[in-house]
Amino acid sequence: MSKSQQLREEGNRHFQKGDYVRAEALYSQALIVDPSNPLLYTNRAMSRLRLSLWDSAITDCEACLRLSPDNLKAHYYLSQAHLALHAYSDALEHATRAHRLCVAAEDKSLSNVTAQILRCKKEKWDHEEKRRRRETAELEKEWDDKIKKMREVFEKARVNREKRREVPEWAVDDITFGFMVDPVITKTGKSYERAAILEHLRRSQTDPLTRAPLKPSDLRPNLDLKQACDEFLKENGWAADW
Amino acid sequence: MAGFATKRLGKELSKINSNSLPPGIELVSADNFEEWFLDIRVLDNNPLYLNQIYRLKFRFSAQYPIEPPEVTFVKLADRPIPIHPHIYSNGIICLDLLGQQGWSPVQNVESVCMSLQSMLTGNSKNERPAGDEEFVRANRLRPKDIDFYYDDNNV
Repeated sequence: MSKSQQLREEGNRHFQKGDYVRAEALYSQALIVDPSNPLLYTNRAMSRLRLSLWDSAITDCEACLRLSPDNLKAHYYLSQAHLALHAYSDALEHATRAHRLCVAAEDKSLSNVTAQILRCKKEKWDHEEKRRRRETAELEKEWDDKIKKMREVFEKARVNREKRREVPEWAVDDITFGFMVDPVITKTGKSYERAAILEHLRRSQTDPLTRAPLKPSDLRPNLDLKQACDEFLKENGWAADW
Repeated sequence: MAGFATKRLGKELSKINSNSLPPGIELVSADNFEEWFLDIRVLDNNPLYLNQIYRLKFRFSAQYPIEPPEVTFVKLADRPIPIHPHIYSNGIICLDLLGQQGWSPVQNVESVCMSLQSMLTGNSKNERPAGDEEFVRANRLRPKDIDFYYDDNNV
């Protein structure tokens, strides 16, 4: 028996006992002696998988496949390592290749390889589903925020629009219902647009509210109201022709 | 001052449309700024006017509201002329605030309707004005040109 063969079998014994560290070391020694034996690479890859050494397991499988491209075990282990690293597409690709080889060789590990394919697909889907859900949630939140913001904008616009329509009563002449430009005040304390009340007085020299005698000379400008009207109109030009 | 009436009536109309009229008063039509129709009814149980609706016609001149509107009741199949000592059976109303002297430009369609509504509500006399038949037969004047003698301000 060759040296490498001896080391390999000793490695297998340790592997069986579950001592993957020793097994891995023994396979490594065997490979120093016989670096072109594909079997040693898959043996060591298997130990490394058990030790969760995913990257170095991949290195072994790839080394094996360079020597023996259709190595079923190499593809199978490669799939497992990739899956552990969440490289779902690679994992599925190698599981699928392992499966094809398995079928061709009528290998007894077919059910394991089939299960691996399913595992790859499921984990891939789970992962994508998680991402989808996260994205959906993010999208939902994003749009909820946008809709909320939009509502606020519309609400604000609506309030402004409604505010626009409100012409304060004090600025409106009771005769023309127009916005006052030159308000004059009568003896009763009520103010009217000068042009409107003069028009009324031409017809009837009475106070519109009390019907008490009222002459044009009784009217006084209401300066404070005029100023208030001017200022309101400056801020609300639309009110000029409400 | 031209254009008074149109502008003022436009504003009255938009106020009516946005705030609506008081109970018992309804705008029937306001298709132009010359003639509007409104329905009024009394809100209490005055037996003279119970379950009746009355149609009012407003006619506006270009000088409205400096000049009063011409306001009359209109007789239709389901709109009688209300019985009242100041309302002639042809619908002409003798009310000082609608006359040349009593009118004030601060009155408006709504306030006139309310005045007429309360004029009916407050009445208990089941009678027409004195000389109603003669007046209805002989009168050719427009209501605003009739020189009513407001002899009884309690009605």
